[in-house]
Amino acid sequence: MEALMTSIGLNLVQGLVLLIFAPLVAGIINKVKARLQKRRGASVLQEYFDICKWWKKATILTPYTSVIFILAPVVYFMTSLVAATMVPGFLTGQFSVGDAFIFVYILALGRFFMTLSSMDAATSFGGMGGSREIYVSVLVEPAIMLAILINSIRYHSTTLSSMVIDYDGAYFTISAVLACIAFFLVMLAENSRLPVDNPDTHLELTMIHEGMTLEYSGRLLSLIHLGSYLKIIVFLTLFGALYVPINIPLAIKILLGAVIIGVVETLNNKMRLFKVRVYLGAATVFLLLAIIAE
Amino acid sequence: MDFLLISLLIYLLGTLTIVFPKRIELAAHYLGMLCAVLASGMVAYSSLNYLMNPVDGWLLEASWGSYSLQADAWSAAFLLLTGAAGAMTSIYAIDYGKSYKGNRIRLLSGLWNLFLLSIVAVLLSGDAFTFIVAWELMALVSFLLVNHEAGKKKTVSAAYQYMVMTHIGTAAIMVAFFLIGSSSGSFSFGDMANNELSGFMKNVAFICAFLGFALKSGLMPLHIWLPNAHPAAPSHVSALMSGVMLKVALYGFGRFAFQFIGMDIFWHGLIVMLVGLVSAFLGVLYATMEVDMKRILAYSSVENMGIIFAAFGCGMVMYSMNMTVVCVVAFTAALVHAFSHSLMKGLLFMSAGAVMHSVGSKNIELMGGLIKKMPYTALFTLIGSMALSSLPFTSGLVGEWLTLQSFATLAQQAGTPELRLLVIFAFIMLGLTGATALGCFVRLYGTAFLGRARTNIVDKAHEMPVFMLLGMGLEAVLIVAIGLMPDALVNMVQQVFAGIAAVSIGTPLGLIWGGSGRYALYSPGIIFAVFALIALFVFVAVYRSVSFAGKESTGSLVRRDVTWNCGTIPTSRQQYSATGFSKPLRRAFDGILSPRRSLTYLRKEHAYYGRKLKYELEIPDIFNDRLYKPIQQLMINSSSAFHKIQEGSVRLYIGYTMVAMIVVLIWGVLL
Repeated sequence: MEALMTSIGLNLVQGLVLLIFAPLVAGIINKVKARLQKRRGASVLQEYFDICKWWKKATILTPYTSVIFILAPVVYFMTSLVAATMVPGFLTGQFSVGDAFIFVYILALGRFFMTLSSMDAATSFGGMGGSREIYVSVLVEPAIMLAILINSIRYHSTTLSSMVIDYDGAYFTISAVLACIAFFLVMLAENSRLPVDNPDTHLELTMIHEGMTLEYSGRLLSLIHLGSYLKIIVFLTLFGALYVPINIPLAIKILLGAVIIGVVETLNNKMRLFKVRVYLGAATVFLLLAIIAE
Repeated sequence: MDFLLISLLIYLLGTLTIVFPKRIELAAHYLGMLCAVLASGMVAYSSLNYLMNPVDGWLLEASWGSYSLQADAWSAAFLLLTGAAGAMTSIYAIDYGKSYKGNRIRLLSGLWNLFLLSIVAVLLSGDAFTFIVAWELMALVSFLLVNHEAGKKKTVSAAYQYMVMTHIGTAAIMVAFFLIGSSSGSFSFGDMANNELSGFMKNVAFICAFLGFALKSGLMPLHIWLPNAHPAAPSHVSALMSGVMLKVALYGFGRFAFQFIGMDIFWHGLIVMLVGLVSAFLGVLYATMEVDMKRILAYSSVENMGIIFAAFGCGMVMYSMNMTVVCVVAFTAALVHAFSHSLMKGLLFMSAGAVMHSVGSKNIELMGGLIKKMPYTALFTLIGSMALSSLPFTSGLVGEWLTLQSFATLAQQAGTPELRLLVIFAFIMLGLTGATALGCFVRLYGTAFLGRARTNIVDKAHEMPVFMLLGMGLEAVLIVAIGLMPDALVNMVQQVFAGIAAVSIGTPLGLIWGGSGRYALYSPGIIFAVFALIALFVFVAVYRSVSFAGKESTGSLVRRDVTWNCGTIPTSRQQYSATGFSKPLRRAFDGILSPRRSLTYLRKEHAYYGRKLKYELEIPDIFNDRLYKPIQQLMINSSSAFHKIQEGSVRLYIGYTMVAMIVVLIWGVLL
């Protein structure tokens, strides 16, 4: 029992650590993008400032909204934070309260409430964002399931901490490299990054995640942004710990991952919405090959 | 044990309300529902008692002449499911049934009892004859219940379609019983277990049994009756049909698989698994395209029965490959998901009934903003929708997690690439199904309950009377209770499979499964505690700016203002519609859905202004178009071919008789 409590305590501390560094990683991605576009760009700490700014501002609610609208950002933030306590990384031990499937479904809880809230403000933009979010998530899900399957076959468990790359065995294999590429593609789609979604614009033709959040302001908006920064760092941690077959410290992997996201976002345009099917199909095929090569 | 027999008598008493005089029809209705609640409660109690304190021997054993009743743990599990769901839907029906006052309400209440009686009788039957009689009774009574609103043309055609389909299924089941019974020399279930069927005939028996029970549980491509029958029936009847009757088919199939046919042949399980997986994905895909609330739920039943059968098939495959210990997790997954689906689909059909009762339509495109008019119904529907999207803290995820674990275990333990490809297919299908189900219920809930009213039918919406809320509320509480403390249900369900192998999945900590040596844990209680801890901090922070009641009293941090709409005041028609919401998915899977669109200009005086358009969208069921229509065409063609030799002239028929005589005579001479 004591071991259990310690383990849960460590998980919570890890969640907080990731929460503290999450805006920094988002800031690094933006800085890399700015530099590659030959701009000076905002400070890497800009996201902290933004969150503080929104936190102080007033929340404007439309008269059509219900409790769901207020509940959704809170649930979304909480699911990201709980996901952050679950990823195998710095402090989590062998014991974890949920496995990889639960990790996926906890994030789905956040998505459920965010897409619901998008329909609550009674506007076209929100519904458009929610509808597209569902579309992308349907295509992402099989790839994520296969990504779990490959490590679960390799390490005979679906617990995230058991699925961490075992550096004592042969870890740099064809299947590991394929899985690494595929998971990177999935990560971009899951976190609403280019080429699937454009995190920088509010234009209705391009937006998915931003469309859903269009009606939010004040503290609720800052919770949503904090939640999505957290989701990026959580996925980067997962990517580093489970799928990057290189034996270097995890923190460096996360930083490298952030830089690569910045580079990829600079090199790519936003893809047409119905081309996403092909993009994620490619990720699924990579994973399929990886499992067969395993 | 006595409780079960008494409950059968109480159901019979409830059935007698049919013959009550018309002037006390409301009293008859109350009496009928009271009987149903009482008897279902007794069924649930005695089976729960049997499952909690497992003893050797039967829950019930009795016989009269050639009819016999007996119930083992497998029956007891389904009796519990029937009793629980039956009691809660009957409570709901106390108030819901009243809307049929003056519309043969006595018949409705009486048949309701008879329906429950026939379901319990199917589960209790101890020989093939009793089973078939009870099964037929169940089919006939449910046909009458579906046909209750016989004034509507659609209802009648749905009911007859159901009747025809279900009898094809019964015929297949009878063939299976006959094959097994004739090989074992007796039709009692105990003797039928020792049949000597092998080879080809065993396969035939399996196919017939699977055909019959898959049809009753609505697996694709035999599902076509289901999305028509459920919307036609009164809502509490749909709740019981979807929540319980479909599971009775699983009971029957399990009886065949465990007891009569065995699970030694690999491809038997493989077929069950593949049919289940395909049904799961296609079912939820069609559900996401529908706008009729009850049709959405009906297709979602196809999906969930698909998941249940996929898990069951996975167990059969494992068993046939001698993974006799780990296969228990798959069977447990199937049974747990059956329990949880009976609760959540019962709940959602009841809330669909509540919405219909309230606004008078099933079309979600006409609704919107119901959460403000009927807050409790909205809360229960939210819980049901979350469960059907298999989200954490609901019973939906328990079944889903066990299903995923069983497939993962199959992949971990099976070395061959073919099996791996199979599991890859299963994971892709389950992944697609899970995400689409989430989209489906977001769409349903978001369109009907959130946003603004789309038409004025919402104006008259109101909250439901107390018994309807009680029925829904009890199911919602059970869903969350199982979701937070799954170990009680899971451990109980495992008792059923103690004969195959003893494993322990449920612990006070949560669910633990380690089929391949290393353990995976799902501990909803602890995750919920972590959630609650974080929620405490976040709510304290957010509460200061956003009041939950929506009042603006808490300081200057909240303002209310109209939704931003590029500078114009938004109208309620500018909200995203349900059809629009599923458009990207419709496009992504248009190869399967093949939507038919048509756009007509009714009035077009100017190119861009004052136009009146008529847009029609139809998504035909792929199996209706590509399987049933050709079969129908074939039947019509062949009967018109026979038509040619049936001219109706007496001379011709005498000629036929003569030719037949001559052929027979020649035959006799030659042999």
